[in-house]
Amino acid sequence: MTAEVWHKDESLRKDTLLIEGPLRGGAKIEYDGNVVVMGDVNAGAEIRASGHVIIFGSLRGMVHGGKDGDRGARVAALSLFPTQLRIADHITCPPEGYAPADHRGAEVASLHDNKVVIETLAI
Amino acid sequence: MGEVIVITSGKGGVGKTTTTANIGTALAMMGKRTLLLDTDIGLRNLDVVMGLENRIVYHLVDVTEHRCKPRQAMIRDKKLELLSLIPAAQTRDKTAVSESQMKELTDTLREDFDYILIDCPAGIEQGFKNAVAGADRALVVTTPEISAVRDADRVVGLLEAAGLPEPKVIVNRVRFDMVRRGDMMTIEDILEILAIDLIGVVADDEDIVISTNRGEPIAKNQLSAAGKSFREIAARLDGADIPFGVSGMRGFWHRLRAVFAR
Repeated sequence: MTAEVWHKDESLRKDTLLIEGPLRGGAKIEYDGNVVVMGDVNAGAEIRASGHVIIFGSLRGMVHGGKDGDRGARVAALSLFPTQLRIADHITCPPEGYAPADHRGAEVASLHDNKVVIETLAI
Repeated sequence: MGEVIVITSGKGGVGKTTTTANIGTALAMMGKRTLLLDTDIGLRNLDVVMGLENRIVYHLVDVTEHRCKPRQAMIRDKKLELLSLIPAAQTRDKTAVSESQMKELTDTLREDFDYILIDCPAGIEQGFKNAVAGADRALVVTTPEISAVRDADRVVGLLEAAGLPEPKVIVNRVRFDMVRRGDMMTIEDILEILAIDLIGVVADDEDIVISTNRGEPIAKNQLSAAGKSFREIAARLDGADIPFGVSGMRGFWHRLRAVFAR
């Protein structure tokens, strides 16, 4: 059964891949659409999606949201501490000395004025 | 029917061989018929750690290439009746053995032993694939260092892919003083990343280096905390429910010995 859902956000109409975690080092997911991971994404694992990436766990690996240039793509995780984070054509990484214990709760990364901005995820 | 357990880590130098030697020794001390199988072809070490180097006649590749019977390649431990070793070949490389040969061999050997411990080479290439091929269970050895934990994580993923889900982890060379000062990863940090069960923690202990060089596994030493840790891992492997407590830390015997050493 398919439910008719109205999406305010056009990007959410993309197909979504749901995967079971943890994604360990060496795992590589490449997908045309959104990716949702139930579990951690460890350092050395890579996710490349043309849409959004949502991780119900800790993000320690590399995620590229909007890999085909979608600058509206967002990357969210319950603990956002990636090795590197890419959105569309932007590459960023946590600042030196930034430790996982330094932040709490779910966060989301998105592009604003050509900068990757991290915000607390309001649910 | 014996159980085949592979001891692996990804990264080199974290103590796979020492761990294999000690768990095997401890299992034999518990009365289990135990065989150690060194699959690190070209870089064999397990025979040295067991102090059996000078007794080698045949090796693993002689067995897989049918130049001898498995029984002929087995070297009995110097003291423990129930403990034997099949050494690796030193003058060949990892491609000298195939995964199907390893599976065939372990299936033959398991008839005569309670436990077969496979010492896996470092890396994730052919040597790893051979070591894992015939195994029923896996133990992953790591040290409290980011690089070792990264490699352990990668290996856990490869073990799952090879049909060996839920390996158990041994955290080796822990320095509790450094952990207390916040200068070393805690066991909890490691378990959070690896998301698998712990089977033992072994403290960093000079006596391990000494015993390894002597070819006398420390598991035989009743006064050593590290020896106790290895004996507890063996007991847990055999199904005993031993709580994780002060073992591995400098416990009663260590303090007692310190008193006598004054």
